[in-house]
Amino acid sequence: MLFEYAKYAFKNIRHRKLRTWLTLIGIFIGIAAVVALISIGQGMQNAINEEFSKSGADRLTIQPAGGFAGAYVSEKLYESDVDVVNRVKSVEFATGVIIQTGRIKYKDQTKSASIFGVGSDEETRRFIEKVDFFLIEEGRQFKSIDNNVAILGSNIASDMFDREIILGEKIFVENKEYKVIGIQKKSGSPMHDNMVRITTESAQELFDLKKTKEVSMIFARVKPGIDPLMVAEDVRDALRKDHDVKEGQEDFIVVTAEQMIEGFNNILLVIQVVLVGIAAISLIVGGIGITNTMYTSVVERTREIGIMKSVGAKNSDIVSIFLMESAMLGFFGGILGIIIGLSVSKAVEIAAVYSGINVLKAYFGYELIAGALIFSMSVGIISGVMPAKNASKMNPVDALRSMI
Amino acid sequence: MIKDYFSYAFKNLKHRKVRTWLTMIGIVIGIAAVVSIISLGQGLEDMVTGQFEDMGADKITILPGSSLMSMGMATISLNQKDYDAIRQVSGVESVAGLLYSSKRIEYKEDSEYTFVVGLPLDSDSKKVFDSMQNFELDFGRDLKDGDNNVVVVGSSVAQDDKIFKKGVSLGSKITIDSVDFKVVGVLKTLGNEQDDRSVYVNIEQLRELIDNKDKYDMFFVQAKSNFDVSEVADDITDALRKSRDLKEGEEDFNVQTTEQIQESFGTIFSIVQWFLIGIASISIVVGGIGIMNTMYTSVLERTYEIGIMKAIGARNKDILMLFVIEAGTLGAVGGIIGMIIGGGFAKIIELVAKNALPADLLSAHLSVELLGGAVLFSFIVGMASGAFPAKQAASLKPVDALRWE
Repeated sequence: MLFEYAKYAFKNIRHRKLRTWLTLIGIFIGIAAVVALISIGQGMQNAINEEFSKSGADRLTIQPAGGFAGAYVSEKLYESDVDVVNRVKSVEFATGVIIQTGRIKYKDQTKSASIFGVGSDEETRRFIEKVDFFLIEEGRQFKSIDNNVAILGSNIASDMFDREIILGEKIFVENKEYKVIGIQKKSGSPMHDNMVRITTESAQELFDLKKTKEVSMIFARVKPGIDPLMVAEDVRDALRKDHDVKEGQEDFIVVTAEQMIEGFNNILLVIQVVLVGIAAISLIVGGIGITNTMYTSVVERTREIGIMKSVGAKNSDIVSIFLMESAMLGFFGGILGIIIGLSVSKAVEIAAVYSGINVLKAYFGYELIAGALIFSMSVGIISGVMPAKNASKMNPVDALRSMI
Repeated sequence: MIKDYFSYAFKNLKHRKVRTWLTMIGIVIGIAAVVSIISLGQGLEDMVTGQFEDMGADKITILPGSSLMSMGMATISLNQKDYDAIRQVSGVESVAGLLYSSKRIEYKEDSEYTFVVGLPLDSDSKKVFDSMQNFELDFGRDLKDGDNNVVVVGSSVAQDDKIFKKGVSLGSKITIDSVDFKVVGVLKTLGNEQDDRSVYVNIEQLRELIDNKDKYDMFFVQAKSNFDVSEVADDITDALRKSRDLKEGEEDFNVQTTEQIQESFGTIFSIVQWFLIGIASISIVVGGIGIMNTMYTSVLERTYEIGIMKAIGARNKDILMLFVIEAGTLGAVGGIIGMIIGGGFAKIIELVAKNALPADLLSAHLSVELLGGAVLFSFIVGMASGAFPAKQAASLKPVDALRWE
């Protein structure tokens, strides 16, 4: 029976080609826009989260309280704090990093960039090797015997200066000469791609931190199998005790990788909801287009409805016939929209990769495709309800008498 | 003649009420969305650029870091040498240097981190601040030269449940780095979260607290009235480059006139706004397709009528005009309703924002250009959507048309 309805609906839709196409265009434009936006947004979020869980899920970051690590923060962390964190039982390893801004000179150009001072001992190297934004593309990580060597972020090496810097060349950091021994993999975050990494000792000398033993940030890895949130609590306890402060009075912040990315995910979600919401307005307009087409269809087929009723069609049969037709409009509109939407997002991905952005990935999930299809069918059905009811309520005698 | 076209169009549209309404709703929704986005976006932009307006057009802002957006992220800072270099530039009337530091502020049992801003209180700096209208006192007095252990607070600091459970008031005692300060003034709400949450002290005292005699985080410069502001800004850039020993293109600082700051914010706003309008416009396109669909149906239904008109002498052009005007009318009426709904929606948002936010921050900007443009645009969309169906109608052969049905 259902099959019969579908066949009848399909025949009718095909009969009025032009109108059907125009109605379909209305639906698939909306579906395509929504699908493309969700696909790109979701793909971007997945790409970032995946990158994070690969190399950062077991990492804690400890910062001075009062904002980003930057010019205005007056609280400080010291090497003694690194020792405190290292003594926490659930922490596998912790290391302090110095972050400063300095002038980089290459050939006769000078630019300012972030300078990261990172430990060069064996243990720190093993830790650093697994941190996503410290990965090496060319060359190598620091060794403990290294002196006056630097590792460059991908942007510094390739974009910042007129000429690309290659391994083995010399650069000056704050007027001190360094040999480039490594170039980092592109991480996608501007902060990390624009860094020059030197050894802790070198940074302490350069920025006059030998005596104070200040560090800008502490990175720690938790022991395998322990929830990072619990470890963060342990670290908080230990530092509170060491700094002699009460809960709520901390002069430091401990965040897990997950917490760091959470804020970002939330922003991404809000942007996505706003954009999809605005795009969805066009779906409403498309749905109204279906309603309109169905009303016209009902008026045109008044006589047909009269005949069907007089040979015994029940009201519910008539409703089913017209609902099937509008559902089909929604369904085909949805299929076209999904194909176009996903093609658009794939095109955006290719364009992004081409221009060097690697976080814009198109996402082709089954739930997205199925969701869009169900949604567009629902739009079709809802849009058809009023016209179908209209059709079913017709009095057979009047309907048959109709001229059309 | 044109009037006849319109009255004929109206008659036809009224005749097919349901279809006309449904077709129009499509355009109404699209136009309403675009109108409300544009008016709120324009209002938001006016508000942000207006805040800079209050600074005065003769001001130049100097920040460390190579772009406006890197403010506070970089560990670069400015210093006394930079101050001296700027002071030497011939078009500079006066200079005020500010210092920022994030500190834990204690008040009663509460303690929270917020920005402490060190303000210079010498007469030269005062001249700069006096001509800036954005910092106005709500209660109490301004900071004076020689002030010690007193503080002026942003409006959020004085409000309950914003930073502290109980907001501070005039005469309250707050503690920064174990030094007690008395609150002598409360600022009016500026609408800028960071400034509203800040507390303001004598820069000399903040220097003692952070133990730094040399550093500045920002300079405000007032240009002499007989100088061109952007030329003074260029001269300052040159002077700073020289004093910081940098070549052109290597600047680690940022010099911008009020106008330039407004422009850079304006650019960001336009990009975001055009993106949103672009997405919202999709629904206008869909609405236009709806008009096209309705018009095709209409042509089909009136084939016989068209045949008669042609038989008694209507030219192709007349028939074309007839249907194009009908489609345009559909668009324009939809546009008018959409404009009213969109404008109303934006006004409602404005009202909600007025009640939810402390000051008159967000106002819907409903300009004549916007409203007129929306109606004109929807008229054009209607006519464009009607073009194909109208052409089809115009090219019907009278004999075939009369034979129809």
